[in-house]
Amino acid sequence: MNQELLEKLSECVEFGKINLASPYPPQMKGLPGADEITKEALEAGVTPTEILNDALITAMNKVGQKFSENKIFVPQMLLSAKAMSASMMHLKPFFANGSVKRKGTFILGTVYGDLHDIGKNLFGMMVEGAGWEVIDLGIDVKIEKFVEAVQQNPNAVVGISALLTTTMVHMKPVIDAIRIAVPETKIIVGGAPLSAEFASSIGADGYGKNPQEGIMWLDKISA
Amino acid sequence: MKLFLEQILQSSKVLPLPIMTHPGIEALGKSVRDAVTDGMTQYQAIKYLSDNFDTIACTTIMDLTVEAEAFGAKINFPEHEVPSVSERLVVDLESVELLEVPSLEKGRIPQFLLANKLSAENIKNKPVFSGCIGPFSLAGRLYDMSEIMVAIYIEPEIVLQLLSKCTEFLVNYCKALKATGTAGVIIAEPAAGLLSDDDCLEYSSNFVKQIVDSVQDETFTIILHNCGNTGHCTNAMIASGAKALHFGNAINMEDVLKQCPKDIVVMGNLNPVGVFKQGTRESVRKATRKLLDETAGYPNFVISSGCDLPPFVPEENINAFLETVEEFNSKQYT
Repeated sequence: MNQELLEKLSECVEFGKINLASPYPPQMKGLPGADEITKEALEAGVTPTEILNDALITAMNKVGQKFSENKIFVPQMLLSAKAMSASMMHLKPFFANGSVKRKGTFILGTVYGDLHDIGKNLFGMMVEGAGWEVIDLGIDVKIEKFVEAVQQNPNAVVGISALLTTTMVHMKPVIDAIRIAVPETKIIVGGAPLSAEFASSIGADGYGKNPQEGIMWLDKISA
Repeated sequence: MKLFLEQILQSSKVLPLPIMTHPGIEALGKSVRDAVTDGMTQYQAIKYLSDNFDTIACTTIMDLTVEAEAFGAKINFPEHEVPSVSERLVVDLESVELLEVPSLEKGRIPQFLLANKLSAENIKNKPVFSGCIGPFSLAGRLYDMSEIMVAIYIEPEIVLQLLSKCTEFLVNYCKALKATGTAGVIIAEPAAGLLSDDDCLEYSSNFVKQIVDSVQDETFTIILHNCGNTGHCTNAMIASGAKALHFGNAINMEDVLKQCPKDIVVMGNLNPVGVFKQGTRESVRKATRKLLDETAGYPNFVISSGCDLPPFVPEENINAFLETVEEFNSKQYT
């Protein structure tokens, strides 16, 4: 029974079935979604850790893999992420009281001067689905805000996003300021105009060409 | 002037068309903000590039906010970067139903029409291409890009209604651009590249086709630009009916050329950042030569940047690109 619920939940997240009301995907229309099944699973005695590890992380891994292989696209990935978030809402009290451990904390923001957020949002949801707590600082994030967040969460990993060639150059001052505040902080950067060479040249520890690459890097440094 | 498509398809040479206005703006000592708010400045930048670089055509600035601003969206204007939409304008069915299709007097539209008119009137030796955003990308700017991606599956009726309004406006805008005397319009539809081929057809190409059917003819060419396509939605782009397709650097040009009918002009796709902006003269020459070698034998190919050149591209890199194309042509055909 519990295994069946976990499989159903995993399927909801993989195919983006958020809740009963959601008409997507068409083959699951009228069926309960991640929201209802998570509630049912907790009531049936499935532990939050099992839900996180055996349903959500497993499903989001599959989603990331399918995205990197061009089998699904941004809309389907966002729907999966929304389904995962609907499930995660039920787990929040267990994260808060410490009964479920996450892999770590990930601070995320689009660099100052840049108002683009789709890549950041997508990656943030994938990171959350991979078992991390995500602190999303939003768009147009000033240096001081990154520094303040790192000082409050000194073990956190930081992700900085940029879409514009004129704003990607703002990443280095952010990285430099974070290194002064908490020198051991690991930092990953991403965004359409970036390259691995650019990431390395500004002192970033990691570069994510796509969400899946970024998750793999996070898994590697947290292992 | 020989018709643009005829000129390309009948040429024995590979013709260069980098999408650019920023180098002209910088050469004039003006800011991007100046160029996107003042039609005369934008024209002067285009004229400078026309006079100083031997390309087959000129392009107006790829602003991608002027249309959303006309609808009433709030716009952020950085000094040295293209503007961006700062918050969503419509959030649900009711607000989409209430949204009015704006007149061409709204926002900066008159300044953009002025830039196009001045360019078409004063640049005599090569065609000038207007620019506008594509319907799906415009709808995404009004509805929020992340939200519209989800809405196409959860609330498709909202998206379709919004797309109808965006398309109605864009048809009017493209008719006005055509009336300025330009040779065509580059419709930039980058957000459609985030969709599958089927979704790109349903939520982008079917609407682009309405624009194509309204304005495209022998004298006015639609160039559909989609730099988000990695090869997965080329069929949808072809289905738009645009006579020219322009691709970003995420795609393999040889594969695209094999896939596209020979009477469609195919343009692309040197990396505007990695090659033009961050590269050196030598690396630009190497990348240009590589693309020319890979695409040799396709008369419908136009070598271009994969998107518009960003601000602060060194002029010597643009010259290195053009020189390499010229050398390739002379060696290939003499």
